[in-house]
Amino acid sequence: MATDADGSTSLDRDAILALVRTQLAEILETTPDEIDEDIPFDVMGADSLALIELVEALEETLAAQVAGFHIDDEDLESLSCVRDAVDYVTAKLNLA
Amino acid sequence: MSLPIALDAMGGDFAPEQIIRGARRAVDELGLRVTLVGVPDRMGDPLGLEVVACSEVIEMDDEPGSSVRKKKDSSLVRCAELVRDGQASAMVSAGNTGATMASALLRMGRLPGVVRPCIATPIPNPGRAPSTMVDAGANAECTPEMLVQFAKLAAAFAGARFDIARPSVGLLSIGEESSKGSPLVKATHELLAADAAVNFFGNVEGRDLIPSPVDVIVTDGFTGNVALKTLEGALKFVFATVLSAVDVDEETRAAGAVLAPHLMPTVTTLTPEYQGGAMLLGLNGICVISHGSSNDVAIMNALRVAAEMDAAGVVQKMRSAIRPDEGQ
Repeated sequence: MATDADGSTSLDRDAILALVRTQLAEILETTPDEIDEDIPFDVMGADSLALIELVEALEETLAAQVAGFHIDDEDLESLSCVRDAVDYVTAKLNLA
Repeated sequence: MSLPIALDAMGGDFAPEQIIRGARRAVDELGLRVTLVGVPDRMGDPLGLEVVACSEVIEMDDEPGSSVRKKKDSSLVRCAELVRDGQASAMVSAGNTGATMASALLRMGRLPGVVRPCIATPIPNPGRAPSTMVDAGANAECTPEMLVQFAKLAAAFAGARFDIARPSVGLLSIGEESSKGSPLVKATHELLAADAAVNFFGNVEGRDLIPSPVDVIVTDGFTGNVALKTLEGALKFVFATVLSAVDVDEETRAAGAVLAPHLMPTVTTLTPEYQGGAMLLGLNGICVISHGSSNDVAIMNALRVAAEMDAAGVVQKMRSAIRPDEGQ
């Protein structure tokens, strides 16, 4: 996330990708470099509880940037890898 | 004065009556401090105990992860928050196991370095301290590294809780030889044998669960849960068989009266309600999961276990076991 001249914070896809990789790495006790965009969550060892952890962490971080940011539980099933999650968040933030 | 234990008054098949009664007994008979967390309109008489009011209940059949996210003012989530916020020393629930685990995980967080929390269940050993089986159902799919971590967490727990200097660890398999077992078991055996921090006994088999030659039995959550439920069912069958055998006629009833004083201590030891429930290991706080069908005795014992875990400094011991350099 970059800070703009007016003090606001911009969220582009790369920033969201970096955020997702960092937070998932913390949950899985690994490094962001080990988080591949296209490897399915379950192959990486991220079970349903780990994904809930990720969602809560993303909401907490992004809500500070975008008031009321929320990930719908109904949408979680469609997210099978980091790329899906990043695309989803990007679209949700109307940055696509 | 020690912090109270947060008790989910709404969780369990016999909630809230038996839960509250168990809390009252823990206060009166064990001298513990207990805070009930529940929905006032649904709790009935709190029997003079302190109540933290909430507005929602996670039901037994609610989906664990999403229910914790949707029902943020539920008794389970509020219990975990009380521990997180330093207002309670531990939480106890007889409610939805998955949601209890999710609440504790999401609110208390994992200890540094812990990949996944696991469920530890005491298996009684007549005449000596119980063995600790881990994982009893939290993680159906595991890696060898996860099992090694479970072994360390459970050894730290068993050492603190049962005052065992260097708890021995057995790996559940289908033979004593290191060559026996699934790829997961064989790879785990190799890691455990090479880890100087683990007092590794070697493989143990299903017949070694009770009585057990080791202090800690490590396995994946799927196998552990099946083994535990098999043991529970087999013990129930044996108890029922013995009870019916001594209730056939006057003669067998007389024999039963003679045997009862000798059998009851063992039967009591083997009865789940006296064991105090299962523990979630690897979290930054204490969480005891009592049986869904808990009565007042089970709840009182679960509260006792939570208090003993707190007094023994189990969380700090687990922290040191996973990150020895940071936990001193």
